Amino acid sequence: MKEWQTFVRRFSDMKEGKRELFIKDLSPGKAKYSTKHVLATVSKSQKNLQNPDILWIRGESGEKAPDPWYLTIEQELEEFVPGKPWEDVLEAVEKRERGRG
Amino acid sequence: MAFKDHRDFFEVLERESELARVKKEVDWDGEAGAISRKTFEKEGPALLFEKIKDYPEGYRISNGTSGTWGRVALSMMLPKNTPVRKIYKEYEERIDIKIPPQIVKKADAPCKENIMLGDKVDLNEFPAPMVHEGDGGRYIGTWDVVVNKDPETNWTNWGMYRFMVHTKNWLTGWPQSTSQLAFIMKKSYLPYNKPMPIAVVLGTDPLSHIVATAGIKTFEDEADHVGGLRGEPVELVKCETSDLLVPAHAEIIIEGELMPDQIAPDGPFGEYPGYRSGTMCAGAAVKVKAVTYRSNPIVTMIALGTPPDDSSIAASLTAAVAMKKGLLRHGVPVTDVYVPPEGVTHLIVIGVTKGGAETARKVLDYFTLRRIMTNKHIIVDADVDVFNMAEVLHCFATRCHPGRGILYEWYEGRSNSLTPFYSPEERKKLKGVSVAFDSTWPPEWEKEIVPIKASFKTIFTKETIDKVNKNWESYGIKI
Repeated sequence: MKEWQTFVRRFSDMKEGKRELFIKDLSPGKAKYSTKHVLATVSKSQKNLQNPDILWIRGESGEKAPDPWYLTIEQELEEFVPGKPWEDVLEAVEKRERGRG
Repeated sequence: MAFKDHRDFFEVLERESELARVKKEVDWDGEAGAISRKTFEKEGPALLFEKIKDYPEGYRISNGTSGTWGRVALSMMLPKNTPVRKIYKEYEERIDIKIPPQIVKKADAPCKENIMLGDKVDLNEFPAPMVHEGDGGRYIGTWDVVVNKDPETNWTNWGMYRFMVHTKNWLTGWPQSTSQLAFIMKKSYLPYNKPMPIAVVLGTDPLSHIVATAGIKTFEDEADHVGGLRGEPVELVKCETSDLLVPAHAEIIIEGELMPDQIAPDGPFGEYPGYRSGTMCAGAAVKVKAVTYRSNPIVTMIALGTPPDDSSIAASLTAAVAMKKGLLRHGVPVTDVYVPPEGVTHLIVIGVTKGGAETARKVLDYFTLRRIMTNKHIIVDADVDVFNMAEVLHCFATRCHPGRGILYEWYEGRSNSLTPFYSPEERKKLKGVSVAFDSTWPPEWEKEIVPIKASFKTIFTKETIDKVNKNWESYGIKI
């Protein structure tokens, strides 16, 4: 199972279902922590997903949530989201998710 | 003769027992940062990690090259044991001298020994450290010099801003939205939706890094002031993919474009105030177009955190001198300014020849006028040595009236969002508050009512002081 990591402001911000996320690859090696921007299905339980990877959640001060989540990557997106520098990236992602319905 | 680069500087550090070469393999993923943190906290030497896991021989990481006053003194070609007061004075005298940089040819620039261009760019080929466990990414830009230019005025800004590896050819970073880099971006690029060329420079001469932390005035080129500080010009070379000029002897130059319409997450990161607080996902994204580097390149790092480290020491020096000059221009009768490294530029000590409410108000106005990085200001009389924290604390404890000696100023839109005690909402809106502690005797008090400090130098007559000093040895008191 591959392991990924993502940052949220509060652990409670992570919700199950289809999510747009920036995730970091935790595979050992030179490319560890490289970022992917993805559409993924996320669940607290691995039973809800087919062949999921592990997703660790960290809060805005970097603290790691004790229990892992799980995800399956549906689509890879560009390295960025549209927005101006110093705008909130997480808010920009949230806006895109709302636009997707 | 000034140091051309970090490699020159390492030789002197080693000679002065200020450098440890770590030959054992260390992991860039937390271990190098942890060793560096522990070394800082034990006031140990600068470090050069010579063997990094996953990376070929010769690829190295350094830490702490300006992390003590002794090493800062050495970087200024002063003796290692130069008192802090003297380092301040020397810096104050030299920083106003401008010696413009010298442009060199590509063939004479060690930073061009190796070049990655376009789709060959791969930031993962460099041992960018995961400095602290739980940071948002691998921060390749910590002890760096970031170069950007205003096309309208030709002003080239140098600043120290954090940048992390996002993907193999993207960086994300967080120059504060109130920084000079941001000022140029907002003025000359964002209105036209144009990307801004930048260069992230690692491992140039030590004084360039120190001046990158300085509050050099807007529209003034830091490179000129570095020349003055060094006593000779900095050698610069043109970038491969832009017209920016960068230090020719640097270890690594990352050339890119800060995008006006594309953003990606940066942070969080354990920052200079000594905490990792919630400033993340509100920075800038840089598409990397080229990396040029010396053979056996060194990623110059600071494992930022609780003071002292390079950041708190360098900022102490550069900020204090800039503040002193600014306060004088603002009409404050300053004797000296000290920024104790332990206060991480949140706490400032200002000595004045005439204290009181009016002076305190002027001090607070100066510090809250524009971009605000500080928040606590202790104003002391001229009889207090601002560099002596025991004297400063005594003065603060005994002269600052809790009822009438504390002034506040609240503001929005210009606070320092890295300040740990600000709430997330305050950080988002750059809301904040600054305070001045007037620890001076009211100037309107008659001389007869001003308390006399009961110290050796102040409560005895000159004759008694001279007599005691003259006969000191004969008293047989061993101190």
